[in-house]
Amino acid sequence: MRPTLRTTVAAAALVAASASLAQAEIKIGVLYPIAGNGAVYGTPAMHGHNMGVDEVNAAGGILGQKVVSFARDTKLKPAAAAAAAKELITKEGVDVLIGGLSSAVGLAISEVARQEGIVYIATIPKTIQMTTTKLHKHVFRTSSHTDFEGDAIGQIVNKLGKNKVCDIQLDYAYGHDLAAGIEKGLAKHAPNAKKVIDLRSKLGATDYNAQITQILGSGCDVVTSVLWGSHFVNFAQQAKPFGLFDKVTYISGGEIASHEIAGKMGKDYPDNVISNTYELWYDHSFPGHEKFQADLAKRSGKKETAMWPVLSYTGVKFIAAAAAKSGSMDADKLAAALEGLTIDTPVGERTIDPKTHQANTGQFWGPMVKKDGVDYRVMNPVTFYPATLD
Amino acid sequence: MGWNMPRGVLFTCIVVLVALALIPMADSRYLIDISTEIMVYALFALSLNVIIGYSGNVSFGHAAYFAIGGYTNAILLTTYELPLIVAFPAAVLASGLAAAFVAYFCTRLTDIYFAMLTLAFAMLVWAIAFKWRSVTGGDDGFVGVTVPEFIDGRVPFFYFTLITVTLSTAVLWMICHSAFGQTLVAVRENITRAGFIGVNTRLMRGAAFAVAGAFAGIAGAIFAMYNRGVYTESAFWPESAQVLIMTLLGGMYSFFGPAIGAAALYLLERFANEYTEYWPTVLGVILLVIVLVLPEGLVGLFKRVKARMVGGR
Repeated sequence: MRPTLRTTVAAAALVAASASLAQAEIKIGVLYPIAGNGAVYGTPAMHGHNMGVDEVNAAGGILGQKVVSFARDTKLKPAAAAAAAKELITKEGVDVLIGGLSSAVGLAISEVARQEGIVYIATIPKTIQMTTTKLHKHVFRTSSHTDFEGDAIGQIVNKLGKNKVCDIQLDYAYGHDLAAGIEKGLAKHAPNAKKVIDLRSKLGATDYNAQITQILGSGCDVVTSVLWGSHFVNFAQQAKPFGLFDKVTYISGGEIASHEIAGKMGKDYPDNVISNTYELWYDHSFPGHEKFQADLAKRSGKKETAMWPVLSYTGVKFIAAAAAKSGSMDADKLAAALEGLTIDTPVGERTIDPKTHQANTGQFWGPMVKKDGVDYRVMNPVTFYPATLD
Repeated sequence: MGWNMPRGVLFTCIVVLVALALIPMADSRYLIDISTEIMVYALFALSLNVIIGYSGNVSFGHAAYFAIGGYTNAILLTTYELPLIVAFPAAVLASGLAAAFVAYFCTRLTDIYFAMLTLAFAMLVWAIAFKWRSVTGGDDGFVGVTVPEFIDGRVPFFYFTLITVTLSTAVLWMICHSAFGQTLVAVRENITRAGFIGVNTRLMRGAAFAVAGAFAGIAGAIFAMYNRGVYTESAFWPESAQVLIMTLLGGMYSFFGPAIGAAALYLLERFANEYTEYWPTVLGVILLVIVLVLPEGLVGLFKRVKARMVGGR
């Protein structure tokens, strides 16, 4: 009997020890589109996330515990994202949720966070609703939002001294929100500017000929837009033969100044485009960026890194800083610590507004110009627009 | 045949119901969540089978009625602050009426033309949900659905779903095994001959479509409250394709087959997503298996295995 008893006790002790080891982990639920069409955004976002987690672990983890990530594919579908978020909470027992891409997915995850009473940091979704009408105790956003983008566009229009504005947006929530943001930005910074024409294109549209001729016929001298990704690529290819970019200045949100777009379009990128991006791999305006970019380049396997990693990386750093401040991973304490929290990031200092739970995430704006020796456009000069609406 | 269930089926149903009712005792939030979702999808697939398995038509747009039920319930509960006793039946009625309206046009056609028209109407519903932003929230979705206090909790909501899905399934069973259901089978088997014996085949097919739409609306209304949100994707064609695959996987010539297919596909997707990012590949393999090996679904496979065992081969 004795050896059996001893063995049993030893086994029990081993199980208890492994259980306590297993508990000595901080679990982060990560929600990005990591397969299918959305992987073009989700994969670089995961690089940034993993880099942030590795750095945090190398520095001793969170509250002395190792950080472990549980990544799930949101499939760019809100219901799938909500189901994955619930699974991460109820099965994996994650302490915090992070990620999201589209506005709908971000809002769906936020709703789960509200129900389950867990902190969610939205690193990419931009919908203004998240930090206004749908704001709750446990949701925080570290990306920018459409009012910040619209405000920057208003400032740029004013600087250019242009008065006749054509606005072309995609006909979906982000487009509508940005159109409203631009209206506010123009009213505030360029009150003399008049909107000559309002155009709406279908999400996923590939044919812009009708809108191009309308813009050319309207006599405007500046076009404001948020045709992001392939929408802009198609628009630019079709507008170039009409000489549209020789006649107007094209100011766009939607991060078409990022290297993902500039690199993809190469020599086809048109003239007279002023746009934004969260990060530029070649711009080291802020301390720490050079090291961040070098590490990211190693991890990504290419020198010209994407813009998305800085967003997911910043989200992880906010969690680590909030946990250090609160001394706990309890959702309420973590949320309280995030309110008003300031951290350094590779693209400048970031502070989360205690009232709106929105980080003051500014963006880099500037004209996209040719550069000797490379076959893609770069932003020059690079101007950082801080996220302030005051 | 009548409404009475064969003893074996009744016994299995009671066992499954008791097992489901005991799930909250396991004190696993995860288990409660996946069981709730499976019940909703099971009802959704069962409703589609009224069209496919009983009336012999294929609908590529069944998600539309799931979405209509979801949006109507969500809007009435949240925007108009109506009680559940009003909002929920109204959602079911809206789905049923929408399905009846669509059926009026679709039943003029048969085969692939019928299927394509159902898809066209479903995309119309999707477009309305997408564009009518002030009411539906557009592509941001209708988020923050108000859930009545008495079911606002994981366990109460689970039992609410269990009771609603059980009652709905029982009613569907009675419909499918009534004279109406048997007439549908006659229409499915030979629409010309059914017409010759005096059956108004167009009316029968339309009624089946409306019934299916109403029960899809029940599933959608529950899902909107469960998710605290409804999204345009609920009406989009991949959702219609998914419920169609559930029905085929389980077996469309069996009443409970689609429910089994829904549970199997849901669990496969859930576990595949937890371990791999290649769910679309897994889904492709499932489709191939259905077409090549399981034309009568999992229930057909079970019957074949049982027959072989009983036959001693």
